[in-house]
Amino acid sequence: MIRRSMVLWTILASLFAVAMFLIKHEVQVREARLDALHRDILASQEAIQVLRAEWSYLNQPVRIESLIRRHMDLRPTDTTQLGGYDALPVRLSDASDQTEVAQ
Amino acid sequence: MSGFEHNQLPPRQVDDAGMPTVRIEGATKQAIEVGRNRLLVAGAFFAIAFTLVAVRLVDVAVLSGLNEPSVAREAASSPLKKGRADIVDRNGVLLATSLSVPSLYADPKDVIDAEVSARRLTSVLTHLDPVEVAAKLRAEKRFVWIQRGLTPRQQYEINALGIPGLHFQREERRVYPQGSLASHVVGFAGTDATGLGGIEKQFDATLRDGAEPLALSMDIRVQHILREEVGRQMAAFNGIGGAGVVLNANTGEVVAMVSLPDFDPNAAGVASDDSRFNRASLGVYEMGSTFKIFNTALALEAGTATMTSGYDATKPIRIARFTINDYHAKRRWLSVPEIFQYSSNIGSVKMALDYGAEAQRDFMDKLGFLKPVAVELPERGAPMAPKPWRKISTMTIAFGHGIAVSPLHLVSGVATVVNGGIQWPVTLVKRDPEVRALGRQVLSRKTSVEMRKLLRLVVETGTGRKASADGYLVGGKTGTAEKPGKGGSYARKSLLSSFVSAFPMHDPRYVVLVMIDEPKGNKESHGYATGGWVAAPAVKRIIARSAPLLGIHPFDEESPEIRQVLDIQSPPEKGRKRLASF
Repeated sequence: MIRRSMVLWTILASLFAVAMFLIKHEVQVREARLDALHRDILASQEAIQVLRAEWSYLNQPVRIESLIRRHMDLRPTDTTQLGGYDALPVRLSDASDQTEVAQ
Repeated sequence: MSGFEHNQLPPRQVDDAGMPTVRIEGATKQAIEVGRNRLLVAGAFFAIAFTLVAVRLVDVAVLSGLNEPSVAREAASSPLKKGRADIVDRNGVLLATSLSVPSLYADPKDVIDAEVSARRLTSVLTHLDPVEVAAKLRAEKRFVWIQRGLTPRQQYEINALGIPGLHFQREERRVYPQGSLASHVVGFAGTDATGLGGIEKQFDATLRDGAEPLALSMDIRVQHILREEVGRQMAAFNGIGGAGVVLNANTGEVVAMVSLPDFDPNAAGVASDDSRFNRASLGVYEMGSTFKIFNTALALEAGTATMTSGYDATKPIRIARFTINDYHAKRRWLSVPEIFQYSSNIGSVKMALDYGAEAQRDFMDKLGFLKPVAVELPERGAPMAPKPWRKISTMTIAFGHGIAVSPLHLVSGVATVVNGGIQWPVTLVKRDPEVRALGRQVLSRKTSVEMRKLLRLVVETGTGRKASADGYLVGGKTGTAEKPGKGGSYARKSLLSSFVSAFPMHDPRYVVLVMIDEPKGNKESHGYATGGWVAAPAVKRIIARSAPLLGIHPFDEESPEIRQVLDIQSPPEKGRKRLASF
């Protein structure tokens, strides 16, 4: 009786020991992986921060303006180029459509 | 076994068990009994102890599991330990950020050949002198800085050289990608990342432990336009400085604010004191004729003058040793709109004398002109107001002399006058549009509506015609103040020329101020250096360029609705003296 329970307990204990070892090992592996991921995230975040700073630097209005002067034909908008729907003349061909456009 | 001796157990026990066949076998039996009892006690003790451990185990593992995982979750969700928080503009454009930058140092003991190493190193860091670097690499130390704050590319290239004895150390560094564009607002931080000026200093504590970027009320695009136009006028008229402000008239948010000359906050240490000086918020100036806005508003509010009344402006006013004269002298009777339109000092002084010193002082106080502007900057100038407030002060303040305020005071006051009379606290931090800040009604709506008409009149037909940006219904007032020279006398030649405006005038949304310090007349301006010639054209360009960005479309200036709101009902004509008898 005692012997049988001893065997049982011994098996159980060693099973638990093995399980514990496996879990602990798994946790260690995962923790290492978590650390590595955190380091990666931090590095990426730092890189993103650098890129954001660079993006802002490259988008300095002064720089954009000089680039546009050099490469494009854009000019500041003149007030005569802006208008609203209500300034449009009445469209004669399709009266129903016209009311929709003018809200 | 020696413990048994003092344990005297009575034989009665066995009889109680009801087993008369078992007999007591002396000391041996007694010893077994004692041992059994002790085992029982020890067993019970351990059983209880193990039960407690088991209960605690269940408690820790299962029952308090609800509180536990926070440790793991925290570790996963906030791996970020960022340095100082970013500063962004109202659209999220980065104005200041903290970067972890590599710095290069050398351990001279490990350097094999100083000359060769230095030569190869300076092929990457081209601005360094190879001789100096070689000297550093030969130093009798274990640590010597070569270069602080490298770019990632430089770091990569230095790494690729593979020179022994060189090492990197990461340091946090404050970077201002927009350079000098918003230098006076954003300010700057020192090498140990402490704010030393501007927003950086004002919000130092918040920025230190805040992960959320701080959003300012500024719009970097408008800021650029303002800076460029103020700079252009400053250069054209050879001014020693300039300032400009664009303020949201209905929220008190500063959309743009420049002070020229400015500095690069990335190298704030080498900037001169003059360029670090914020003329827009720290400098206080006698503003000149732009103060007639407040003078006229107060006269209308107090009821001592109306849109149809007027004053005699034929003769200069003499008081004590001063003579108050008109710059654009008409030498006749002028109505209130005409006094404003032609910027008559004589008329303004007479208006001021009617409402009196007390009312003037109270009004200046209500507008906030007697204390520093409550803006989120450490650089706030305290206004200079007369003490005591004598009659002569009342007279000079009518046309903007004898009281010195900062340009921010001026725009905040003008915003109050045109927006319906509500004074909003000026702010550099973006306001939540849902949350209306506390504004104070300091002027009646009626006076505000009348002031809009007067301001529009100045741009339509008065001294501010050059500020008229087509379609944006600009209204404003010129100001040309003589700067006080040495010994308290006013210098004729050093002027402070400004133009303060609001647009669109039938429902003002933004207030724009341009101020040029000590402009000199040029050929195009026929030698004039007044506010109308120097600052007004800049205001026109600023409004024309930034209105589309601010979401304001051009209006038909001749449309009946707008004419009705802005026209002065009985337009000034000749022979107005008749009206004065009303």
